[in-house]
Amino acid sequence: MKLALLGNQNSGKTSLFNALTGSNQKVGNWPGVTIDRVEGKIKKYHSTIIDLPGIYSLSPYTAEEDVSRQFVLNEDLDLLINIVDATSLERSLYLTTQLLELNLDVVIAFNMYDLVEKKGIKIDIDKLSKELGVTIVPISVKENRGIEKLKDIVFNKKYLKNKHKKIYPEDIEKFIDDTVKFYGRPWKHKFHKRFEAIKVFEEDRDYKILLGDKLKDEHLQIEKKYGMDGEQLIASLRYDYIEKVRDKCVTYPIEKETTSDKLDKIFLHKIWAIPIFIIIMALVYFLSISVVGGLTSNLINALFNGSTSIKFSCAFVTWEVPLKIEGLGPLIARGLGSIGASNWAMSLIQTGFISGLAIVVSFIPQLICLFMCLAILETTGYMSRIAFFLDRIFHKLGLSGKSLIPFIVGAGCTVPGIMSTRTIEDENEKKATIALVPFIPCNAKLTIISLISAAFFKQIGFVIALSFYFLAIVIIILSAVIIKKILKRKEHSTFISELPEYKTPSAKYIGRDVLDKTLAFFKRAATVVVFFSVIVWTLSSFTPTFQYVDGKNIKIDQSQLRYLGDGISWFFYFILGCRLDWAASVSALQGLIAKEQVISSMQVIANMSNGGMPIDIFSSTIFSYFNPLTAYAFASFNLFSIPCIGSLSAMRHEFKSWKKMLIVMLCEIVFAWLLASLIGMWGVLL
Amino acid sequence: MKKNKKVILTSGQEGHLSDLRRGQKCVVLNFHNDNAALRRRLLDMGITKGVVIEIKKFAPLGDPIDIALRGYELCLRKVDMEGIDVRVL
Repeated sequence: MKLALLGNQNSGKTSLFNALTGSNQKVGNWPGVTIDRVEGKIKKYHSTIIDLPGIYSLSPYTAEEDVSRQFVLNEDLDLLINIVDATSLERSLYLTTQLLELNLDVVIAFNMYDLVEKKGIKIDIDKLSKELGVTIVPISVKENRGIEKLKDIVFNKKYLKNKHKKIYPEDIEKFIDDTVKFYGRPWKHKFHKRFEAIKVFEEDRDYKILLGDKLKDEHLQIEKKYGMDGEQLIASLRYDYIEKVRDKCVTYPIEKETTSDKLDKIFLHKIWAIPIFIIIMALVYFLSISVVGGLTSNLINALFNGSTSIKFSCAFVTWEVPLKIEGLGPLIARGLGSIGASNWAMSLIQTGFISGLAIVVSFIPQLICLFMCLAILETTGYMSRIAFFLDRIFHKLGLSGKSLIPFIVGAGCTVPGIMSTRTIEDENEKKATIALVPFIPCNAKLTIISLISAAFFKQIGFVIALSFYFLAIVIIILSAVIIKKILKRKEHSTFISELPEYKTPSAKYIGRDVLDKTLAFFKRAATVVVFFSVIVWTLSSFTPTFQYVDGKNIKIDQSQLRYLGDGISWFFYFILGCRLDWAASVSALQGLIAKEQVISSMQVIANMSNGGMPIDIFSSTIFSYFNPLTAYAFASFNLFSIPCIGSLSAMRHEFKSWKKMLIVMLCEIVFAWLLASLIGMWGVLL
Repeated sequence: MKKNKKVILTSGQEGHLSDLRRGQKCVVLNFHNDNAALRRRLLDMGITKGVVIEIKKFAPLGDPIDIALRGYELCLRKVDMEGIDVRVL
């Protein structure tokens, strides 16, 4: 069996998809989380289920509507599951009336039924089902109600067949019949006669040429009679029909101020909205970096590398606990030593593998905290409010309020951030957003921010960390203005978006989301980062003539890596405050592979310069020249220059052009270099 | 282009949807705009002749505006609301 899931944006489609297939697609309380179609399998019933982007109509005007329309028209489907947000019945059923015109059976999954009950809306499901001629299953994906019943009805085929109820006035129905008769068989697609005939009446983009001379008179007469054109008339009649059905089957409670309205009085307050937003974001980063990060990162490093005393910090307090831990790396090295392994083998394990991994893994607790906070803000619907109130600013900058979503997703990872620009209707706004998303520090870049902030700015670390984000915002605004000047606008863009109600976040979804992102981060650390750390170790352990760097007779600055670094260190001369440093240069270069790799590489090099013993990066002789300004400059370059290769390829894919991607890349390098050099030289000139 | 003239519409008067104040309700009379995609989108979202719309919230910076219709809430930019003729209830 092949099924497709269709419904409005933000109706819980993806949640239902996950519930049916047991997979874990991204869910959020904002319109348009699903950007492409996603396929899933339900093995038990040998079925394939396709999650399509959320749409309000089968019109061809927006990308996601066109994708869904082409899909349902061309694909050989057995059934459509139409997920309906039972709390916005009218708007949802508008799509249903269109789906019922297709020659496909439809089952309505009546979602958010828990909210309907809570709000005191009374819906006579049986009557509604009879009126529409469709099987309706009330469900609540959030409370896991009705899912089994839905499966039973769908897979055991207990649903009503599509009866193609005639819902329009007689003259229009006659026109539809005439059109079908006139063309004998449908024009483009095998089955969907009624659907196509109605599209002819609407003078839809793809069908209006079919309105030939013979039908034109009839069409004109109807338009005259109702005083509306075909498109407007059909839309009005659909809604009229829905209102009639609604009045028969639904009773609403007396309106009162909803909780969402009350909350919006605070969160969308004329004066306080922006300060509240800034405070919330500051709290999120304070909690993640200063509290969770301070409490855990040294401990985790100690577990890997060994330590005699561990420094904890929480908010503005720091304390040291004497605690002797041998650590995983030294333990394995000792074990290898006792069975007679050579020095270089022990060094490979301890420095190449363990230390390189440890520095990245030590950021996981604070990332978990950050992921969790952001997931809560997303699923409650707060982020939709932010898009709503920032739209005006964004619009002035040549972006859309919807650009906020890619930026927020990009704070997790640039790749999905760039992909989520697909919901932006206007081409120019979309391109501008794609070019700007990489400026938002992603979670891999957060490791660099966090390291520098903690090492050089101690208690005020989180302020410095936030300053990188504000710097990012300033850069984005400046670049947006420049891009707007370059791309001349063709027509004005629109921002039409639902404002979803506030919802209590579901622990299950947040848990899944956090777990997913954390695992992805760990996977990258355990594969890419470890792999390249070992390469760094190898290159820094041998001279060009393959002499082993033992740290006594042969030092690290005779290694292969050093000669490689010398080739590019001129580039970082001003950034590092008039200094040629091969070690920082090669580390920054590796940011191309993954931004976490920058600190991992620095850690490996620091250890190697310390005779293979674990040491704090900025305490090692090789990196001890860093001061707060050069550290800030070095971090800035890493944050704002080219993103990693994964992001570049996502960018190329969305731009559909190598040239545009390369231009953006070049601009980013030049810009980040200028900025970082300026900061780095500041210290020298003062 | 800044519009300094503030139109105040009272019950029974006709005007553009963009001129209404918070809390006012109106009924849609007609559309006039030539952007086919926008027009279709507004129709699809339920802004058809005769529908009742309430102005719910303004974004803190005055634009866009959140309106309630057909049991849900929709955000629109002021420019897009100018093309919708209404009568205040």
